[in-house]
Amino acid sequence: MPPIRANLRAILLLILTTKPAVAHTGNFSGGLLGGFAHPLFGPDHVVAMVAVGLWGAFLGPPAMFALPIVFPLVMAVGGALGIVGVPLPAAELAIAASAIVLGLMVASAARPPLWVAATIVAAFAIFHGYAHGAELPAGTDAAAYSIGFVTATGLLHLVGIALGLTVRWPAGRMGVRGTGAVIACAGLLFLWRLA
Amino acid sequence: MRRLAGLAVALPVLLPIEDACAHPAFQGATGFYGGLLHPLFVPTHAIAVLSLGLLIGQQMPHWRWPLGLAYAAGLGIGFAAMISAFAPRFSTEVLVAATAIVGALIALARPLPRLIICILAIAVGIALALDSSPGGISVREANVIIVGTFCGAVILLGIVLEVAAIFRRTWQKLGVRILGSWIAASAVLVLTWQLAR
Repeated sequence: MPPIRANLRAILLLILTTKPAVAHTGNFSGGLLGGFAHPLFGPDHVVAMVAVGLWGAFLGPPAMFALPIVFPLVMAVGGALGIVGVPLPAAELAIAASAIVLGLMVASAARPPLWVAATIVAAFAIFHGYAHGAELPAGTDAAAYSIGFVTATGLLHLVGIALGLTVRWPAGRMGVRGTGAVIACAGLLFLWRLA
Repeated sequence: MRRLAGLAVALPVLLPIEDACAHPAFQGATGFYGGLLHPLFVPTHAIAVLSLGLLIGQQMPHWRWPLGLAYAAGLGIGFAAMISAFAPRFSTEVLVAATAIVGALIALARPLPRLIICILAIAVGIALALDSSPGGISVREANVIIVGTFCGAVILLGIVLEVAAIFRRTWQKLGVRILGSWIAASAVLVLTWQLAR
């Protein structure tokens, strides 16, 4: 038997026969999946995150990459407020408003300076983070949950950026602006349901 | 050679394999492989090693191995302290705080002095080792797990270092910065949760 194949078999056996290290307290897989699913199963989060990516792509570099870096960092501050239990009034309203504002920015092809765009995105990031932090389920592995929801949020930004890259073509530009309008309408719907 | 290859296949099956259970939730923690996989399966440890590897790869790819050795030395110091019955109270918090700092530094992507990175590597190594306490088992079993954890933590960093050193294109470097912001955000949340509970 060639040594490489033997080593591969050894590694395979190792993986198959070694039980996972169920580290620390809480449920690791439940925490990771729960955290990952949290933004994905909240339509208000999904549309706002995609809008951040779309707007970033519309603005082009460096905003295209600055916004997805700023958002998670500020979102963590909001998440910390939620975990600690600091009251943040009208968080759900602000999340619905984020979809409206960000959708309108994309639909109108707004091109403010980077610091203005970053400030708008950061302001809404606090409320999105707060919602995630406040809804951290008891008994869950906090580390796995946090990694899951930050990763899902970041991936939604990347989806938005990927869609937004089509702005270089006229049809793509129309499509992206149309998506922005749909996101703004969705935000209005979320707001109406909260009222 | 064939005999050695056969041994390599048989060894994992013949060795007693049990749950790797570090920390208070891990009753009956035994086994080298459990220790080996420990840094990979503990989220706070995995992101700590990932962030350090990415920072070194981003800032000083040509110095990755000396800095990796500094991290290994930190691990050694931490495990030596643990064997000497040093029981820190806030090892997880320190490790997560270090991870948040390293993640933020990756996201900022500003050039850093080599000394700072070296200090961070040693600090992460020490904190990771002190947070990998295999409590409530015999000294012999604990030592086997410690050796496994040391090997796992070093191998994991080595893999991240080599992968991070490949990233040379602009979009790859931007991807690393975005990943750094995700790590920093996760670490801040975990730190808050640790301190708030």
